[in-house]
Amino acid sequence: MEHIEFRKISKSYGAVEVVPPLDLSIHQGEFIVLVGPSGCGKTTTLRMLAGLEETTSGQILIDGNDVTNKRPGERNCAMVFQNYALYPHMSVRENIGYAMKVHGTPKDEIDKHVDEAAELLGLSDYLERKPRNLSGGQRQRVAIGRAFVRQPQVFLFDEPLSNLDAKLRVEMRSEIKLLQRRLNTTAVYVTHDQVEAMTMADRVVVMRSGVIEQVDAPITLYERPVNRFVASFIGSPSMNFFDARIEAGVLMIGDQRMQLAAKDADRIGDYGNVVFGIRPEHCREAETASHLTFDVEVIEPLGSNTLLLGKIGGQKIMTQVDPRFIAEAGALATVPIDMQAAHFFNPTTEERI
Amino acid sequence: MNDRVKHIFIWPAFLLVLVITLFPLIYALTVSFQTVRIVPPTPARFVGFDNYADILANARFWGAIATTATIVIISVLAQYAIGLSVALALHHNVPGASLFRVTFLLPMFLAPVCVALIAKMIFHPVLGPANEFFSMFGLENLPFLTDPNFAIAVLIAIETWQWTPFVVLLMLAGLQNLPAEVFEAARVDNISAWRRFRDITFPMLLPLSAAVIFIRLIEGFKIIDTVFILTGGGPGTSTETLTLFAYNEGFKKFNIGMTSALSFLFLIVVIVFGTLYLAGARKLTQRYAQ
Repeated sequence: MEHIEFRKISKSYGAVEVVPPLDLSIHQGEFIVLVGPSGCGKTTTLRMLAGLEETTSGQILIDGNDVTNKRPGERNCAMVFQNYALYPHMSVRENIGYAMKVHGTPKDEIDKHVDEAAELLGLSDYLERKPRNLSGGQRQRVAIGRAFVRQPQVFLFDEPLSNLDAKLRVEMRSEIKLLQRRLNTTAVYVTHDQVEAMTMADRVVVMRSGVIEQVDAPITLYERPVNRFVASFIGSPSMNFFDARIEAGVLMIGDQRMQLAAKDADRIGDYGNVVFGIRPEHCREAETASHLTFDVEVIEPLGSNTLLLGKIGGQKIMTQVDPRFIAEAGALATVPIDMQAAHFFNPTTEERI
Repeated sequence: MNDRVKHIFIWPAFLLVLVITLFPLIYALTVSFQTVRIVPPTPARFVGFDNYADILANARFWGAIATTATIVIISVLAQYAIGLSVALALHHNVPGASLFRVTFLLPMFLAPVCVALIAKMIFHPVLGPANEFFSMFGLENLPFLTDPNFAIAVLIAIETWQWTPFVVLLMLAGLQNLPAEVFEAARVDNISAWRRFRDITFPMLLPLSAAVIFIRLIEGFKIIDTVFILTGGGPGTSTETLTLFAYNEGFKKFNIGMTSALSFLFLIVVIVFGTLYLAGARKLTQRYAQ
């Protein structure tokens, strides 16, 4: 069932259109992540859903009701902000219970809900503290608790983990995901971090300059990106791209020749000029592997694997190889390429072929 | 640590402070224990606490304290209430906010003497526009400056008119420094505008409010120019403030010893009021401390 619907919503500041008309449907209980580089309009889109920004045109529906012109408070959403946005003069208990108190919930009921949320988020020992005396992670937990006790229709997250350190980010990631599962509340989450998007989302919305490039499950985005932008944005380390040519089932990069996988050879065996994309982790042995030789410039051992950075005829390449792979900076190296995992894009439209 | 060079750095600064601030204070304190008359010139004579005792026994002194306190307390409260309201309106960009932003600040830039002269014209019992205005309601020739209660009310009005902009300026700066997300969070949580103000804006501004009111209290106690020009302390001594009282003692009676003693008593009065206020303010801000 569609829970949230964006119908041709757009946002302009004066003559500058930051979000061109955009359509998106979100299902009941779904965890949707909006991801894209800075300034791609993801936060603006979220804020329009929250009611904190007015839409220039279009409609937003929540649960079938048009909320486009409703105040933020009438939309029954709860939002978690990047900077926590806690009330600095209130204790953790007051912060979490404040909305309930204002809306006239009896005191014992507030206490019950607050204690429950605190228990769940590991905040029981800090209930009487002020936000100033909490760490970043604890503050964000309070903010999540505050959203959670309201039992809203929709959770909105605006880069909630950006201010936390890497370790905490990984922890909180799964906590938020678990909470959302438990409550089965629809969640819209904004981040610029594609790892966060991939790990948390049921479906990821990849945006660029206000335009939705692709909406799909994380694994589909990874395996079948619709264009070069999505391909380069999703996956870490990011995909390599080479200007290449396909003729008679053979891919040519400069003077190097690689045999296409059978499925591709049938489909695009004589395509001509293409952009060939291969992820660093797909530079591996496989049944249909071809080989690619390049100048190694930098070797980055990461322990579980090693990254080789180099160039093929002026085009950059990064490959991920076994730690025991023998390579030397300044010399040539030949790596296998799993052609089953190759991607091809049209050089002018950049669409997937 | 025993480097002698440090003396070169410390002594000049210390002597400067001594000469500029401490010496006049100590000198004034000494004078306050003497009788010193300039006209007719009499040699200084040590009289101990006589000056202080005389002043404390003088009803005019207590009257001046009451007058000053009335003017200051009422006008500062009014300044704060009006100033915060105006700042809130400007902060939320009411139509024409940018025009108001400038015009509301103008009174603050005027010299109090000018303000008093303008007020004197406005409140002229026969010719002033205030008289004209009230005449429309059948209240003719109100004794704005000649009835004690009216005169105090006029002084309070002028103080409020002149110094509200100062409160607006600081409170507006404070409002603009509050984190926007906190209010967005409250809006998403369906908190009404009034509750947002009562539970979030006001408590978060408390420390600043306390400081602004404190500055205005201390400054307010020094009020002299407007009173001097408008009423000269009259009718009788009913609008005589502490500083005006000191001025009259010093420059009409030329009783310098008495005036010095009065200045120190004035200092004590300000300290007493200031301390009482700070104690109250601390209690309040601690409840809402961040």
